[in-house]
Amino acid sequence: MKRIPCTGCSLLCDDIIVRSDGLFIDEVIGACLKGKERFDQLSSSNRILSPMIKKNGVLEKCSWEDALEKTSEIIKSSSKPLLYGFSNVSCEAQLKGIELAKVVDGFIDSNSSICQGKVLNIAKNTGITLTTITEIINKADLIVLWGANAAESIPRLLNKILFSRGKFRMTGREIRTLIIIDPVKVASFNVMGVRDIALQIQPNKDLELIRVLKEECCVADSISSEGVAGLDRDDLKRLILNLSEAENGVIFIGQGVLRPQSESNLVGELLELVQMINTKQEKGRISLIMMGGHFNMAGFDHVALSTCGKNGGLQFDKHQLIDTDDNIVSKIDNEDFGCSIIVGTDPISHLPLSLSQKLATKPIIVVDNKKSATTSIADIVLPSAITGIEVPGTAYRLDQVPIELKTILNPPSNIPSDEELLTKIIDKINKS
Amino acid sequence: MELYKFLPKTNCKKCGKPTCMAFALDLLQGKVKIDDCPPLLEPKYKKQYDTLKELLGAEEGQKKELKIDVDDDLCDGCGICVTVCPVNARYCPPTLSGKAPDYPPEKHQLFQVKGGKCELLNLEYCRRLEAQGRERECRVCETYCPRKAIKIDYV
Ligand code: SF4
Ligand code: SF4
Ligand code: SF4
Ligand code: SF4
Repeated sequence: MKRIPCTGCSLLCDDIIVRSDGLFIDEVIGACLKGKERFDQLSSSNRILSPMIKKNGVLEKCSWEDALEKTSEIIKSSSKPLLYGFSNVSCEAQLKGIELAKVVDGFIDSNSSICQGKVLNIAKNTGITLTTITEIINKADLIVLWGANAAESIPRLLNKILFSRGKFRMTGREIRTLIIIDPVKVASFNVMGVRDIALQIQPNKDLELIRVLKEECCVADSISSEGVAGLDRDDLKRLILNLSEAENGVIFIGQGVLRPQSESNLVGELLELVQMINTKQEKGRISLIMMGGHFNMAGFDHVALSTCGKNGGLQFDKHQLIDTDDNIVSKIDNEDFGCSIIVGTDPISHLPLSLSQKLATKPIIVVDNKKSATTSIADIVLPSAITGIEVPGTAYRLDQVPIELKTILNPPSNIPSDEELLTKIIDKINKS
Repeated sequence: MELYKFLPKTNCKKCGKPTCMAFALDLLQGKVKIDDCPPLLEPKYKKQYDTLKELLGAEEGQKKELKIDVDDDLCDGCGICVTVCPVNARYCPPTLSGKAPDYPPEKHQLFQVKGGKCELLNLEYCRRLEAQGRERECRVCETYCPRKAIKIDYV
């Protein structure tokens, strides 16, 4: 019996105890429901166990030989392949994905570029203060959840950051102040104590709040008595006081701030605000953590950055990286692609309808371990093993710390890892 | 002090105690009975008297038993109860840093998350049965469950 990391979400809890007889998983102890579901995928009826090719509009099982042949055919016959996904696979597979994009002169992007990748991009100009979960457990005294639905998207996050008692925060919950800024009363509001502040902001008024905070930071006297963005003046004063007095404050930014349609400068202004507070403040500092959902969303940014010097939206031409401002959304919107290779994600159900419709007009090749809306309309479906349970790898936790994933069982016969599968595709294309 | 809330709070000393608070503490430890507070028997305190009776039901022969219910449909296995329960904190060191306790469970351990759901292991070490004084009013698991899945009750 060993403790292994869970790949259910980006928190990658490394304390899960799994009992197994070598063929099946008997018991999962310590993982939340979301994590348990990840382990359940192993034997789920949703699992794909054979490659499939669409024939006369229906997906039919086929041999690996045929599937790879057809894959290479589609990629070669269409110009501008689009590679997308990669947030639910290991860093090793992400590296292979980039290699494939280079070989086929494609465009590659991960889910991160419409989520937390934006922050890193903007941070190139402004800088960013990050922190780690361990540091939060041991030292944090202020937790701000900004548009971050922690209790639902990352179930065990509050447990770790708010209720744990670290080395220098032995009293745990009592010494930590929680501030939630969210337009909806999400489940996290239920853990509020007397000293905590619930700020139910009016929808889409985040930018307004940030601007006021920037103006007022450290001098809270001139806030108008009506308050800002639907928030009470006294609450705002307490917010400012907490932000400027915290020894180790952390702001978790979630979908409310990162959402694709949010005003472009929202993240930028937030980063500036944090910097402003940190320059003025004498006691400590405020750090940021981005709450991506998929287990290795942060990984792609690191892999792309270290191999290509850019954290997403990589366009290759004549096997060279070329400069482009495109991201996955603009690429699909302009229908600037000939076919798509989707790895470990389900864009047909995640992307807005206008985009998913455009994506569906061109041939789709999917690499995944479970059926989804995207696999159902794909031209080729290539099954892969489940990372973190059947195959090992590296993944970056939400605080940008690399975690080594372990294996418990062997993958079903004939099912390769994402990394092996992408290597096979590259080989096939190079050979023919 | 849950019990104190329902006393007359006049500090009239008729019970022989210096304050209502002192009386409440003794009441909790079973040293005195509700009927030992004469003003409480007056009609205007009828409602409070009944509430107190209910809270202290156990003494009245119709023994009420502590029950902690975890609603499986609501629970999502976040593990907050495992971390905040002071009994777990004392006997299962990993919970201090928000980690899952060791397995198989330590004999005092009250909660564990298994199969994605919270499980109540044994009640006998719960502070509401074990501890003295204020600690006996522990309700942290119920208070901090973000799903409102835990209910502490006497039946
Ligand atoms: S919080 Fe995420 S990583 Fe942790 S157990 Fe749940 S799903 Fe797994
Ligand atoms: S007799 Fe009742 S009201 Fe008077 S001091 Fe005692 S508890 Fe309080
Ligand atoms: S705190 Fe509530 S939701 Fe979380 S594990 Fe315990 S019972 Fe379940
Ligand atoms: S009431 Fe207190 S001691 Fe009892 S189970 Fe809940 S947290 Fe633990």
